[in-house]
Amino acid sequence: MTDDTPLTAQQEDEALAAELALGLLDGPEAEAAVARLSTDPEFAAAVREWQERLAGLAEGLTPVMAPARARQYIRERLGHADAPLATDPTEGASWWRGPIGVIAGFFAAAAIAFVLFSPDAPLPQQGYRAELASDAGDMAVEAILRGREMRIAMQSGSPAEGRDWEVWWLAEGSDPVSLGVLPREGDMTMMLPEGLEPSQGARIALSDEPEGGSPTGQATGPVIAVANLTDM
Amino acid sequence: MQAREFDALTDTRRTELEQLISRTALGDREAFDALYAATSAKLHAVVLSILKDRPEAEEALQDVYVRIWKGASRYASNGLSPMTWLITIARNRAIDRLRARASRPATAPAEAASTIAATAPTPEAATIHAQERRLLDECLAQLADTQAGAVRAVYLEGASYADLAQQEGKPINTVRSWLRRSLLRLKDCVSQ
Repeated sequence: MTDDTPLTAQQEDEALAAELALGLLDGPEAEAAVARLSTDPEFAAAVREWQERLAGLAEGLTPVMAPARARQYIRERLGHADAPLATDPTEGASWWRGPIGVIAGFFAAAAIAFVLFSPDAPLPQQGYRAELASDAGDMAVEAILRGREMRIAMQSGSPAEGRDWEVWWLAEGSDPVSLGVLPREGDMTMMLPEGLEPSQGARIALSDEPEGGSPTGQATGPVIAVANLTDM
Repeated sequence: MQAREFDALTDTRRTELEQLISRTALGDREAFDALYAATSAKLHAVVLSILKDRPEAEEALQDVYVRIWKGASRYASNGLSPMTWLITIARNRAIDRLRARASRPATAPAEAASTIAATAPTPEAATIHAQERRLLDECLAQLADTQAGAVRAVYLEGASYADLAQQEGKPINTVRSWLRRSLLRLKDCVSQ
């Protein structure tokens, strides 16, 4: 295929599928391609294949943790949670505070006790924490792991304008693994990627990187803090 | 890490995400929370890469998870792997915002492709895709730098043909013609 041979009809279709998957079409051409999805299964399959193929590019991006407030806003938009202080504290006592609540509370406690102490119940998940602080004392970040869920709280300090702090997982005998870029403030929760096992020997480090994280997948900036995971 | 081990991990993760999406489709908020915890940093990176603006990316991310909650019931029938489905929703939302910012008519929702039912989702497809994914980088490296750069700019930064034409100082049709050929070469290389 040289640059001046015209594309075959099949190649034209393939290119169109790629353009639709990439969002490169507009106007009537876009409308026609979208309409074709529901009438031409082969074309629709080609578009899906392009989506799969190209998603590898996005999977290569360094994760960037979103601030916890983003999660709260999503809950509010879906009606899953009240906005903070949306409940009037002077309102009458809720049912669970009355006598029925006490009984329900007792059953709930009994159920939890049963789960905790029945022989088949999974062991309570091991917790770890790491306190990351710079030598100069101008920043502090706390990481808490319960099972595979890690919560990271920015306690003081923040990266310079145009810079980000990237979190690294250090385990003996392996290369550092990026856990992503920290939010600029607040806290966030993430699941530990598969392949990483929390243990006493593991360490967490923060490095100072260009905005969006290390462009190479390896830490490029100075490491500003390192801490061991310790049992909680 | 051995390739086989990596595939096993990928398969486990895929199944976990699929289960979380199915439970989300049934209105399970705990599953939705777990799905958010497992995927939000990646999807945030996708929208941030396109929008390059933190407050706007954060809003886009909220839109994305609202869509995921509402659209989870359509996931099972679309034949995409769970991460591709999530990334596609994130990318489309960010591109809609990007194009709206430039006050141009929104491009076609490529998302339409993820809402229609798949004709023949096969188990082999997953394995093939895992292999293709590993090849993608190698194949991009085989394209000329400008062409590989353009594919990345379009996918990861939401560049349009007009943006590419401006950047290259060439007419839109010329740029379109070489990008289409680059994409076809990429596909040939990846599917070998």
